[in-house]
Amino acid sequence: MAALTRQRRFVTPGPDETVEELARRAVPDAPLEAAVDQIKSWNLHVFAMRRPPGLLLGSDVVFVEPPITNA
Amino acid sequence: MFDVIVKNGLVVDGSGAPGFKGDVAIKDGRIAAVGKVTGEARTVVDATGRVVAPGFIDPHTHFDVQLLWDGAAKPALEHGVTCVVPGNCSLSLAPLKIADRARLIGMFQQIEEMPPEAFTEAFEWTWEDFAGYRAAIEKDLSINVAPLVGHSVIRLWVMGPASQERAATPDEIKAMQDLLRECLEAGAVGLSTSFVDVDENGRPVPSRFAQFEELDALSAVLGEFGRMLQIVPEFYATDITIARIDQLAELSLKHNIPTTFSPVFDNAGTPNSVPRQIARVEEQFARGARVWPQMQTRPADISFSLLRPSLFFGRLPRWMRVLRQPLEQRLAGLRDPAIVEKMIADTGPDEGEKLLGRLVLRGGDAAPPELAGMTLSEIAKARGETPARALISLSLEHGLDVAFVSANAGHEKTERVGPMLAHPLVHIGASDGGAHLASFATYGDTGYLFSEFVRKGHLTLEQAVAKITGETADIWGLKDRGRLQPGKAADIVVFDAERIDRAEELPIFDMPGDGMRYTRAARGIDTVLVNGEVAYTAGSYTMARAGVVCV
Amino acid sequence: MDEAVIVGAQVVAGHDGSAELLVTLRHANGVEAPVQLDEATGLKLMAACGASHVDELSGQSWRRIVE
Repeated sequence: MAALTRQRRFVTPGPDETVEELARRAVPDAPLEAAVDQIKSWNLHVFAMRRPPGLLLGSDVVFVEPPITNA
Repeated sequence: MFDVIVKNGLVVDGSGAPGFKGDVAIKDGRIAAVGKVTGEARTVVDATGRVVAPGFIDPHTHFDVQLLWDGAAKPALEHGVTCVVPGNCSLSLAPLKIADRARLIGMFQQIEEMPPEAFTEAFEWTWEDFAGYRAAIEKDLSINVAPLVGHSVIRLWVMGPASQERAATPDEIKAMQDLLRECLEAGAVGLSTSFVDVDENGRPVPSRFAQFEELDALSAVLGEFGRMLQIVPEFYATDITIARIDQLAELSLKHNIPTTFSPVFDNAGTPNSVPRQIARVEEQFARGARVWPQMQTRPADISFSLLRPSLFFGRLPRWMRVLRQPLEQRLAGLRDPAIVEKMIADTGPDEGEKLLGRLVLRGGDAAPPELAGMTLSEIAKARGETPARALISLSLEHGLDVAFVSANAGHEKTERVGPMLAHPLVHIGASDGGAHLASFATYGDTGYLFSEFVRKGHLTLEQAVAKITGETADIWGLKDRGRLQPGKAADIVVFDAERIDRAEELPIFDMPGDGMRYTRAARGIDTVLVNGEVAYTAGSYTMARAGVVCV
Repeated sequence: MDEAVIVGAQVVAGHDGSAELLVTLRHANGVEAPVQLDEATGLKLMAACGASHVDELSGQSWRRIVE
């Protein structure tokens, strides 16, 4: 099977997972507050768009690193 | 004796092969012969000087509701479209329990902008299951339909209100699988899902509450039938779309299904976006996955009125400051001569001629109907004003309910979009026909393909025809459609290659309850046959009702 | 710089016929990437930043977008 170039890593939230829980799992080495901030700044499509505040959806793409490619 | 012979045309058969002079004969709704045909026919269509092609297939529409009172999905048929795919973006009208109708209507209205009367007066709800909906539309079809079933309605059926609250349990996923199987057996061409849509209250639609495992389980059922998974991804950034491409590829490989995402959209602000998406698609196809990016042909426009704040004025600070105020203060500002002078000064020494003069008045609102389609520059001259001043004064005269459109504001660079459309892995579609009724016309994208991209040399006639006929039929598994070959269904369009186009966008009031929509008529289409019967010719629809659910 | 900062913004056509805001963020790793905000979110951002021209958004923290 042909190889794929590396793209930005992401996860999808588990059922009822909170931002804090996701941040802890995705950025385990950072203090929680910093990890939450990082997750938010990398995922403005989740945290800035029309939806009830704080709601994570099971279908969300949540990036666990900053962009790796200049757009 | 044939039923119909379409004679002496340039036969472009939908395979991509060079066109040739010839005839197409039809018997019992099917193509009986292609080439030099001898013999008699009850009806002869003279196609001298015209192209004879398979009927066009529009794979991304929202005609679900309109089909219940308009079996031609007007004006799709007159544009040469003989098959539409409704049910995109996770929403279809079945399966749907009576108790859930109001909830689904809210979601549909959010997407389609259809007046409430469309759901209360224009048809009788006679169904709950997918087979019932199929029977309801099949009574009066003059166009073919390959309907998707929506993930959101499947979720709603199984989970009720919880479909917009939480993940599904294993039992609920199993029930969704059974329901999807029933829909596919009843003629659904596949499943649609959405990662971006919200309902009328701004709450994400049910499909967005699904874990990936749920989509995986539903894709397994699609795999039993080899049918399509359609998604609408987030429009916000390329990385997200690439993540969706990878998810679709995983499902495609695991379950051996075709998948498609729409719309794909070129934007000057992110010039690398579509090239990156296509590069990822190429990588995934090389692995054996089928992930078809669906690209629209028409450019995107920006519409606005002074009734609501708009980012259209994001580079005109004084306009922005006035227009983002609450209505009363906004009106006071627009009536204050000193403020207006400053606003006009913002638009340059020509008072908006260069910046605003090409705006087009849309009509269909409080503006005088005779101004619809005129540029602001033309309107200003007739009023003896400059464009900036005319925009303000005309809006004030009509309670600010005067909409303008800034045409070709995105996906508009033919020299960029042309090669993208021609790419062998790019699927042409994403018209959204039947949606966004009060915002812009979603009709005539096929005509625009020929007028803008074929006549300007970016695709050959044969390539363009193949893209929206044979290739589309192959992608969607519509085995009977898309090519002029003996034995195939006789869906045929006869058109003038030099004239085919979409006409100007205009408001019309033909929706139930005198509801308004923007539409575009067709140009250069002579005759359209659906399953061997003439459904449209010489500018008029016929009484033919030969359309079917063609899955 | 240890967090994402807005380095540019432009008005673009949205899928639904509205004007949307394409904001470019420079992330802590130096990579610049855009995020497209719908009209309501874009207008809210401009108001939150006291900006009446899209160019005035440059230099603002990403936090303004989620305020």
